[in-house]
Amino acid sequence: MNTSARQSSGSAVETRLLLGDREHTKLVARKRRGAAFRMVTFIPVVLAVILILALLADVTLNSISWQVVEPRGSGQTFAWVEGFRGFGTWGRVVRLELAAQGLSAQEVEALFADSDELRKFRARNRVELMWSANGQPWRWVVANSRDRREEDYGLFTGLRNRSALLEGLEEGQNLYLNPWLDLSFFRKNASRTPIMAGLVSALFGTLWVIGLVILISLPVAVGTAIYLEEYAPDNTYTRFLEVNLRNLAGVPSIVYGILGLSVFVRLARIGPTVLAAALTLSLLILPVVVIAAREAIRAVPDSLRQASYGLGATRWQTVSRVVLPNAVNGIVTGMILAVARAIGETAPLLLIGAAAFVPRLPDGPLSTYTVIPIQIFSWISENDPEFQHVASAGIITLLGVLFLLYAFAFVVRRRFERHW
Amino acid sequence: MIQVVPENHQTTRTDPVAVEEAIIAVGDFSLWYGDFQALYDISVTFPKNQVTALIGASGCGKSTLLRCINRMNDLIPSVRVDGSISYEGVDLYSLAVDPVEVRRRVGMVFQKPNPFPKTIYENVAFGPRLNGFRGNLDGLVEKSLRGAALWDEVWDKLRQSGLGLSGGQQQRLCIARAMATEPDVILMDEPTSALDPIATDRIEELIHEIKKEYTVIIVTHNMQQAGRVSDRTAFMHLGVLIEEGPTDQIFTKPKHEMTERYISGHFG
Repeated sequence: MNTSARQSSGSAVETRLLLGDREHTKLVARKRRGAAFRMVTFIPVVLAVILILALLADVTLNSISWQVVEPRGSGQTFAWVEGFRGFGTWGRVVRLELAAQGLSAQEVEALFADSDELRKFRARNRVELMWSANGQPWRWVVANSRDRREEDYGLFTGLRNRSALLEGLEEGQNLYLNPWLDLSFFRKNASRTPIMAGLVSALFGTLWVIGLVILISLPVAVGTAIYLEEYAPDNTYTRFLEVNLRNLAGVPSIVYGILGLSVFVRLARIGPTVLAAALTLSLLILPVVVIAAREAIRAVPDSLRQASYGLGATRWQTVSRVVLPNAVNGIVTGMILAVARAIGETAPLLLIGAAAFVPRLPDGPLSTYTVIPIQIFSWISENDPEFQHVASAGIITLLGVLFLLYAFAFVVRRRFERHW
Repeated sequence: MIQVVPENHQTTRTDPVAVEEAIIAVGDFSLWYGDFQALYDISVTFPKNQVTALIGASGCGKSTLLRCINRMNDLIPSVRVDGSISYEGVDLYSLAVDPVEVRRRVGMVFQKPNPFPKTIYENVAFGPRLNGFRGNLDGLVEKSLRGAALWDEVWDKLRQSGLGLSGGQQQRLCIARAMATEPDVILMDEPTSALDPIATDRIEELIHEIKKEYTVIIVTHNMQQAGRVSDRTAFMHLGVLIEEGPTDQIFTKPKHEMTERYISGHFG
């Protein structure tokens, strides 16, 4: 009897749940509309990813090229195992090259002993590892600033016509597959010769500028955010400040460049130096950092402040012991994202006089400087088409630096994540 | 909303507390949030080492009154007060009194357990550290946790996060945290409303225990709870203190008609 009761009630449920033909058609149509809408929202994501990958592929391909070169030196290339000696690689490859040029061992050691001669030699010669030289893989080459570069092909064009290129080589010519972005790229200074040009001065310039930007903007931004969130009375003046802050975050960066030029470079007579750049970029990112820091401070639950005050904490004790430790995650993340923006800024720095050609490292806040985006910009503007490869290598480096920063921000977010 | 406030209302007092044994005395105390008056001429005394319950419907001002006793309402910018609250004879609202010092003497436990996202040890040590405590901090932490009947459950995980505890344990941690500043009075603002019945039971037992050393003022929505834990009860309605007296008298023979209606569940 029990069973039959359950069965009858079960069938009653079924009759209510099972759809008739009309309802079923409606349901199918609804699901189809849902799927179509999902596609509409999905397509832009796919497009964005494809575009980014295309950009990366283009830049990467552009940083590798086949070159037909008429070297000034011996024209010999050396196997990787022959030349690689860790930190001693440079001396080893240069000794091999000089021996190939016909110098005796004594003459070579005399050159290495004479620091003036050695410096001159270094200024004109670079040790480069080519991916391939005359068909042999991983060869050391001593590149000279007066090497004659006859032809330059893209990676795929060169691969397709490799045998024709090798056969077409004249006496004294070499065919190199040159990866422009290699370790020596980060050791070379600014140069008028593409093969001699590297990123080191721009890299250190960026490090100096960004370091100062962080030192200047972090305390100012956190202080402003604390004032606005924890101390400021809610009146017309405060609201006026807030509206201005949000508007400042949207001001074009070139305007900050004009401001920096007239205030820091000229009025304060700081000149076109690292400090002027850092001050200008700090102004540029301050609104963004302040807004991020305010959001982070506001996200700290009020119950924690109440608990702190209830235990007899003063306002400053509450801010420093409860609010800031719980907001540090959001503040650091906002700071990193803003710094990533500052690293890529070109326009304001062009205005305030970042130099395009700086053949030495910045040695303090008051030295002239260049930064990675400015260096890329000046390489792209060069006539010599080989500089396009150098610029591509610079772009990849810049993207790499930005990616590292974003990854760091992600790690910080994970590491300090709070659960209430 | 129409405010029905009895004109020239006199609080009904059964068996009033002698002034000498009162640790806190509220006299003709009124409070405004901007233009809105939330408390009307409250006069009441809280006797030492007893539990006083504040009961009343939502929005009657009982939490507001509680928060005035350790000057937590100072943190709301639009608040204005009139009248006096004296603590052992000192007017808490006189200009010479530092609100921070008041809050160190009068501890507070909130409705929702709100431990800091720190270790259990650091939670309890927070208050003492504010004053630059120089002494046996470990001993003070242990004493406070024992006082809040939590030591046996957490003695082996003092270095773990206070947020890992259950809701009831978190609330007892908050009580221990309040005890660690060695206050004389502990204010509790609906301390069990976010807890299950078993955790509530433990907190109520705890309140019974701690009244030997502390004066407790508790706001509660739960009439049974007021009946179980308190020695005295004050009933408030729309910012006015209607009636105040020993708990069994308030619950069995209320003098005021409104008190009787509230206690028997006609409104609120």
